[in-house]
Amino acid sequence: MSISTEAGAPAGKAWKSKEEFLGCVMLTDWILLVVLFAVVLGSFHIHYMLLAGDWDFWIDFKDRRMWPTVAPIVAMCFAAAVQSFLWQKFRLPIGATVACLALLVGEWINRYDNFWGWTFFPINLVFPSALIPMGFWLDVVLMMSGSWLVTALVGSMGWGLLFYPINWPVLAQYHQSAEIDGVLLTLADLIGFNYVRTGTPEYIRMVERGTLRTFGKDVVPVAAFFSAFISMLIYFLWWKIGTWFSNTKYIDADEI
Amino acid sequence: MMNKLLATLAGCVRPRALRALAFGLAAAIAATTLPAATPAAAHGERSQQAFLRMRTLNWYDVKWSKTEVNVNEEMVLSGKVHVFSGWPQAVAKPDVAFLNVGEPGPVLIRKGAYVGDVPAPRSFSLQVGKDYEYKLVLKARRQGRFHVHVQVNVEGGGPIVGPGEWITIKGDMANFTNPVTLLDGSTIDLETYGITWTYIYHFAWMAAAAVWILYWFMTKGLIVRYWWVKAGKANDLITTREKRIGGLWLAASMLAVLFGYAWANSAFPRTLPMQAGLLKGIDPIPLPPATVTAQFKGGSYTVPGRELSVKLRVTNNGTEPVKIGEFTTAGLRFLNPAVFTTRPQFPEYLLADRGLSVSDETPIAPGETRDLTVIVQDARFDIERLSDLAYDTDSQFGGLLFFFSPSGNRVGVEIGGPVIPRFAAGATL
Repeated sequence: MSISTEAGAPAGKAWKSKEEFLGCVMLTDWILLVVLFAVVLGSFHIHYMLLAGDWDFWIDFKDRRMWPTVAPIVAMCFAAAVQSFLWQKFRLPIGATVACLALLVGEWINRYDNFWGWTFFPINLVFPSALIPMGFWLDVVLMMSGSWLVTALVGSMGWGLLFYPINWPVLAQYHQSAEIDGVLLTLADLIGFNYVRTGTPEYIRMVERGTLRTFGKDVVPVAAFFSAFISMLIYFLWWKIGTWFSNTKYIDADEI
Repeated sequence: MMNKLLATLAGCVRPRALRALAFGLAAAIAATTLPAATPAAAHGERSQQAFLRMRTLNWYDVKWSKTEVNVNEEMVLSGKVHVFSGWPQAVAKPDVAFLNVGEPGPVLIRKGAYVGDVPAPRSFSLQVGKDYEYKLVLKARRQGRFHVHVQVNVEGGGPIVGPGEWITIKGDMANFTNPVTLLDGSTIDLETYGITWTYIYHFAWMAAAAVWILYWFMTKGLIVRYWWVKAGKANDLITTREKRIGGLWLAASMLAVLFGYAWANSAFPRTLPMQAGLLKGIDPIPLPPATVTAQFKGGSYTVPGRELSVKLRVTNNGTEPVKIGEFTTAGLRFLNPAVFTTRPQFPEYLLADRGLSVSDETPIAPGETRDLTVIVQDARFDIERLSDLAYDTDSQFGGLLFFFSPSGNRVGVEIGGPVIPRFAAGATL
């Protein structure tokens, strides 16, 4: 097979040269990556804000029970779906990390531009939950095992258990306490009290509500294990959802 | 290499697509930047249904200690609130309530909130039919002119907004500080505390994620990998070396997580869980039994004249003669000029200093019972959309009627009941 060096592509060929062909492949790769990232960013962001919402918005909602239960479960949906797509179609072990990074990029834009830039809530009130190491865990487990079943069991377990320790390095400083007018408050409580949110009254918070009382103060591990178990179920379901939506059979070829 | 890539890019992308992209970007930038953004002037309190504002919380004696403050300067918003006995069935009772501020974001921060003498940084219960005194200590943060309301949020009922006043804040938010003393005696500035570390921690992990993604993307991209998978060679795509790198990457990440967790525990050894739960010990104002009673005998709202007319049977059980001086509802004050000879300090848009009249202005003597008609007529009733009462499913008005004696004593009496709209030809609500 010869490659023409003339201005136009040879008859029956779409490319003038091998270099041009490879260049277009590279360019298309980049376009696809950017589009994929933007789509995941937008859709995952909406999903996460609707379902994790206030737990992720505010420092004084990040408790030891509800937050580590809800946030990983909700985050697992898109991590599993994107992983399903990138693994099955491209054998890329980056799906969960792409999902987590896209979400966090979207969240940081939102928190900085909207919460701080428009409304002047300080960042220490509104920073999002950290998720990246959970994405690494899920991706590497899938890469090592090559099995979505193993990833659902082992990966999801780590996903749920890692959430609180990942966030603690930032969160711990806001769990120091102060006495304000004779009332004990953590700094997280105090930030929420000081910086007025007209539409978010204190009682909306669900701080350690429920009947989980037999583990003393150690409620985080129990919440994390529960979150991990539910994340397994979510992983199964959303892996399949990712598979169902990762094909072109919904598009009529004649319309393309 | 880069030139070749750019040349390829230029060859592949059609000029028409480029023009469309450029036009779209320009339109998006213009749409988001050119229109002048004006600050919000109010918080939608007029949009709340009239019966909700009239028959839940009746605000009175509301005071703003200052209307002009500098950044970092404190002011006090205080007053009293009567929890209406005829609390509407459509709204949850204030068993869980929170003393809040209606303002456009934290332009003033809430340094203290008190109900009676009790600090109220959390939620509490209010008893229907009782009166409470409140105080909000606010510290100016952001320069500008803002409408600041007292507000109580009720679980299941939503925010109930009280009267608002324009507050001018001078200075620069960049100079704002919010010092807080911790239990260990150290002082921090809560305005900026921990923010730099939060950025570093989050963006370091996000950078690591970008490295991980790009590492895999740069090896074979997407399209080549797709072809390999379609060709049945998916298992050849990840080499043993890449698996080793992945394992090391994960091990390093987990070590970083472990180190971060241990560091946080050593750096902040005394941490406590967030504090929550309903505050107790918040008592109403111990008011003496009212010496005046006012029995509702019917009411109407005349649409063309914007006039609320209320028939009352008033009995004075006190020792002094009394006159009706004020009707307050939904944050508005309607004053009887026969009683109020000077205009009190109160926001202009909520004060109708000639908005109240009584069919018989002579004082009601001790022991006397008299049938009276109280007329509330002012444009503010309509401007504040209280005439929308006729559209509510529970068209009952409510409010506080204040009686005054010659010695200056004031007696507040709750009144309320169904209102019949009176239409005239061509009149609309």
